[in-house]
Amino acid sequence: MERCVVMSEQASERRLIEACQQGDREAFRELFDVHKDRVWSVARHFTGDEAVARDVTQQVFLKLFTGIAQFRHEANFKTWLYRLVANECLDEFRKRRRLISFDFFRSEDGDERGEVDMRDWRQEAFQEESLARLEISEAVKSAVMQLKPKLRMAILLKYFEDLSYEQMAEALGCSAGTVASRLNRGHKALAQKLTHLRGIIGAAE
Amino acid sequence: MFWNHVSKKLSAYRHGELPSEESRRVAEHLADCSRCRDEYEEIKFGARLAQRLALEQAPADLWNELEAVMDGGTIHRRGAENAEAPQRKSFWPLPSFKLGAAFAVLLLIGFGVFWFQSRKTPRPFWEVARIEGQPVIGSKVIGEVGKLSLGEWLTTDDESRARIDVGQIGLVTVEPNSRLKLAEARDEEHRLAMTRGRMSALIWAPPRQFYVDTPSAVAVDLGCAYTLEVNDDGQAVLSVTAGWVAFESEGRESFVPRDGMCVTRPGIGPGTPYFNDASEEFKQALARFDTAGMDWPSRAAALGIILYQARERDALTLWHLLSRTFGEERGLIYDKLASFVPPPAGVTREGVLSRDKKMLDLWWENLGLGSADFWRMWKGPAPK
Repeated sequence: MERCVVMSEQASERRLIEACQQGDREAFRELFDVHKDRVWSVARHFTGDEAVARDVTQQVFLKLFTGIAQFRHEANFKTWLYRLVANECLDEFRKRRRLISFDFFRSEDGDERGEVDMRDWRQEAFQEESLARLEISEAVKSAVMQLKPKLRMAILLKYFEDLSYEQMAEALGCSAGTVASRLNRGHKALAQKLTHLRGIIGAAE
Repeated sequence: MFWNHVSKKLSAYRHGELPSEESRRVAEHLADCSRCRDEYEEIKFGARLAQRLALEQAPADLWNELEAVMDGGTIHRRGAENAEAPQRKSFWPLPSFKLGAAFAVLLLIGFGVFWFQSRKTPRPFWEVARIEGQPVIGSKVIGEVGKLSLGEWLTTDDESRARIDVGQIGLVTVEPNSRLKLAEARDEEHRLAMTRGRMSALIWAPPRQFYVDTPSAVAVDLGCAYTLEVNDDGQAVLSVTAGWVAFESEGRESFVPRDGMCVTRPGIGPGTPYFNDASEEFKQALARFDTAGMDWPSRAAALGIILYQARERDALTLWHLLSRTFGEERGLIYDKLASFVPPPAGVTREGVLSRDKKMLDLWWENLGLGSADFWRMWKGPAPK
């Protein structure tokens, strides 16, 4: 059953790409809608800057729009797309390596609360695992932005797009062994940077 | 059995990327090898963290912008407003080999000038005067005076003290059992690196000209006098006697006024500043809070004492805690701080709980600790 769904998705993607290759603007809009959030997320987390991420995302889809006629279906479309994403992000990094900003620990949580009540506070707030989920996510985002660019890109492609090592190797223009090594180093660097989260992340899983 | 550790394969093992036979070998190895097992725990923790990355929605207007460009519009690169222009294809009329030759000649001239200058220009140094004992620069005991050149270490034993003239901008007194290095000596950046011991500094230059690197944070002078003590574990204690000092490390900052103190710890960075006349219970609870990490019960217990013991003057500490706490912790701190210093017009509870920087600045102005202007000035790009 799962295999049928995958086959159907592949066929649907192929039809969409073929329509784009014929210059169908609506089909391209559909393709854009399918991939925009993931491409945006990789660009946003890689650059750490919304304006730069907009530039990167726009460039990726422009290159996709102008180059999709050259796409051959023997290749994997996601790999092809993420090669564009990786190249654009890394190019942008080279241009701006001194100017990329790294935001730290912004959060959007908080609710109304009255006087100090230690008993309620401990019971309701600190024993609740979800208390700091948003901020943990921000901490991880900050730590990822501090990784070296090649490690950062490997982590983002793996965790946003769930590409296989072979697909990542193709997208990044390196061997699967290099991908494994970058992910190893990326995982270790994240663990070391966020070692203070060990208790809560470990306890949650 | 352990001649062939599996550390390089652990992420691939975690992601199910290894062939079944190799995966079985890794599993067997992990069962017997504690070193690789520890490393696998590290990889698993890193992977669990990465799984917390949250997918974000692309801006809603992205398609419209894209479509405008596809229809022949120009590309407006927002990010380019703050960056250097991207490299364009060269319009230089010379053929590339001529450019290459010209570049090589320029390079040679550059090297020549550099070599000549480096022979002619002595290394920057600061003067050191012996106060007592036998201070050492490098491996040489100094006489009454000595020169601490860029990159050199000054060491005092348990009977020695020395005074350093920090260029034209101040004085540093180095106490016994200290070790520090002259790390930078330019007009706009005077920098020492201190690995252990105690020093006191009196700086009369404008803010952001004198820095001391410690193992866990950088002390940035904002026009002041202070003492700094670094122990063998890399923990540093800052005590300010005049003006302001900032402790900074990897985006975490503490601003310490006169009579204020701050502890910075390896792996944690600058702690929360406090006034030295605060109660011992308050100081101890603050130390526990700063080191509690995500140990919620410990944080709750420590914060309870901090809030109970806080005086109006401790608004300094409470204000810093607003940006170091989570969810309900921050709400409680807001309430306590508001009871001492009502938030001014334009500052809302909701805004402060979401760490609105403008609101935090506005509130700071009402704490009676001086204007936030000095800090905005300091927030410019720090020298490397």
